[in-house]
Amino acid sequence: MPQNPLSSTLRRALPALCAGLLASGLACAQAGKDIVVGFANAKSGWVEAYDTPARRAALIRIDEINAAGGLLGRKLKVVETDTKSDRAQSAKAGLEALDQGAELLVVSCDYDFGAPAALEAQKKGKVSFFLCAEDIKAGVQGVGKNAFSASVLAAVQGATMAEWAYHKRNMRQAYVLLDTTIEYNKGICTGFDWMAPQLKGVHIVGRDNFKNGDASIAAQISRIKALLKEPDAIMLCSYIPGAASAVRQLRAAGIQSLILNGAAVDGSYWLDSVPGLSNFAVPVQGSVYGDDPNPQVEAFNKTFATRYGARPSNTYAFPGYVLIDVWAKAVNRAQSLEADKVTAELEKMRSEPTLFGPRTFSKEIHHQNQARLLISEVKAGKPGIVDEWTISSPVPLPVLLKR
Amino acid sequence: MKNFLQRHRLETPVLLCLALALVAALSLAGSNGLQRTITEVLIRVVMVVGMFIFIGHSGLISFGHMAFVGIGAYGVAWTTMEPSIKQYVLTGLPDLLLHSAMPWVPASLLAGLLAAAVALLAGAVILRLGGIAASIATFSLLAIFNVVYSNWDSVTAGSSSIVGIPTPVGVWQAFAFAAVAIALAHWHGISRFGLALRAVREEPVAARSCGIHAWRQLLVAFVLSAFVCGLGGALDAQFLGVVNPDAYYLGRTFTCLTMLVIGGSASLSGAVTGVLVLSALMELLIRLETGIALGSIAVQLPGGSQEIVTGLAMVLALIRRPTGLMQGRDWQWPRLAHPQSPPTVPPLEMQPR
Repeated sequence: MPQNPLSSTLRRALPALCAGLLASGLACAQAGKDIVVGFANAKSGWVEAYDTPARRAALIRIDEINAAGGLLGRKLKVVETDTKSDRAQSAKAGLEALDQGAELLVVSCDYDFGAPAALEAQKKGKVSFFLCAEDIKAGVQGVGKNAFSASVLAAVQGATMAEWAYHKRNMRQAYVLLDTTIEYNKGICTGFDWMAPQLKGVHIVGRDNFKNGDASIAAQISRIKALLKEPDAIMLCSYIPGAASAVRQLRAAGIQSLILNGAAVDGSYWLDSVPGLSNFAVPVQGSVYGDDPNPQVEAFNKTFATRYGARPSNTYAFPGYVLIDVWAKAVNRAQSLEADKVTAELEKMRSEPTLFGPRTFSKEIHHQNQARLLISEVKAGKPGIVDEWTISSPVPLPVLLKR
Repeated sequence: MKNFLQRHRLETPVLLCLALALVAALSLAGSNGLQRTITEVLIRVVMVVGMFIFIGHSGLISFGHMAFVGIGAYGVAWTTMEPSIKQYVLTGLPDLLLHSAMPWVPASLLAGLLAAAVALLAGAVILRLGGIAASIATFSLLAIFNVVYSNWDSVTAGSSSIVGIPTPVGVWQAFAFAAVAIALAHWHGISRFGLALRAVREEPVAARSCGIHAWRQLLVAFVLSAFVCGLGGALDAQFLGVVNPDAYYLGRTFTCLTMLVIGGSASLSGAVTGVLVLSALMELLIRLETGIALGSIAVQLPGGSQEIVTGLAMVLALIRRPTGLMQGRDWQWPRLAHPQSPPTVPPLEMQPR
């Protein structure tokens, strides 16, 4: 007689597994007078490193609003679900938060990982906000009419570095080194390539690609060394850890050009890999180093440190604060939580002052295609704010959409 | 009824489909999130059954089947998306695709056929290799798919995600395709193709002497399995609404291979059991990570424990049962010690080891 295919242990365990699954799957209805803000973010996996600081900053703003009496006379209640840095899980995490009555769904910092959750919110007709996604798709074009992003477009970062280096560092000969691994990097270089031809006398003397995971960029460095003259500046469109490795190799090869970057390399946590680094500039929304021109930013950093045990490690915490700030203002002006009314109020914002610079939204662009950025320069291994810059004209939508 | 099923050798697929139908029906009583989970499980069944068609009967581990899943996923993206979105994002597509959109069922079948066509070309070359060399060659297939799709910006939007794929796939749609996949796998298994391939797996020399052409049988299984995997990919894209080349790379490969190996790669029931058991375990762990209340105690595992515990479970399962949970056997009605009905057709079984 053939043995029962499932072992006895397994047979005993299977009903329990299924029961546990079903029990925890049944929806728990939440009703109350609190306004629910859902956070479908990554609590594990690589996206967690970006989501957590921004979410914490958002929670600080929520507490401030609650302490001041709440929104529309109601307290804000936070519901957090985990996307585990997985796209399918992101959609489920979004659904769970929406099932608990979220009026606003705050999704992950990366478009690819936040979009599934944001699409669920859009289907339900709720406002969704990307914590710090810097791709134009994190908004109307990639999700829907009620989706927004709280950060500054990658293209703006590239364009800012181009214009700043031209005016303040006499950059005339530039080299573009693009890490083709993710869309964010391509966005930075798109902005740089858009701004550079508008600057009189600037020549892009060469361009090259690499991948974040490449152990060595010796081939790319040889091509830079083969140029007649060392370029004034190298636009490095990359993120940690590949960017750190690239910078280390560039300096080791004796290339002393000014290295321009996107905001993704902000922070001092990686500078030990390139000791004594100088001539390295990064655009940021605010300073984590204690030298922000706005004293309220430093006050925020201290609040963050008191509450969470450490200061924010890079600029990506700040968009979380801005997110709740502008959304709450829009809700107050609309005097309603209805997605379309809140969206309309957000779209009316022109240079709306926030703690980290003015914010503008329009019907076509639910993102920042122009922003005041601070320039952080690393000198002898120490970063510090040296300047601030706003690009002279906003990056146009066709450039952002690469048409 | 039982005799009918046994006589026509339909017992196993009917039992499997009934079990999946039960799971699907139960999920409708739950939340949206649970229904999404069950849909995901059913889509995984399609993918793993697809992998089983080749891996189970040939004994060769193939790491490249996610490439076919991905080809199927992108295939439906090309054929079902609204032309107004496609025209801006996927400018390199031929005009015929750019200006039309198909209904989802024919589009899914077409995507499966596309994956099968690629498998025919690639398999004709790869399957001339034997053993471990073929397995590594299938891995290179996966890598080629990933690199090509990550860089062919005008046709696949490169490393960016394609968003806006219509999402008609719910629990019952996924179940229907899972039933089709099980039917195809079962048919292949009891046909002369499956028998010939198992003969090649067990005794290649003796099989050759019986006139069985190994390469031809391997190719048939490879193409059929690619078709089913392509269907799985089509479902996946039309469930999530978003596709990205990295979603069809190493992570998914190892998850699906693990489900197949844990369940028992030598039988169809092993493939389905592996998916169900491992999915249940993973979901339970995810719930525990979020935190559930048992009476007055709140139980919460630290983040990331789902992956760790799943890994440990895999290791344990392989130590205790190297041939998988099903050990190469199929689901059957429990049999009496002294059967009163005429002898039935013996179920599919691998040689006891």
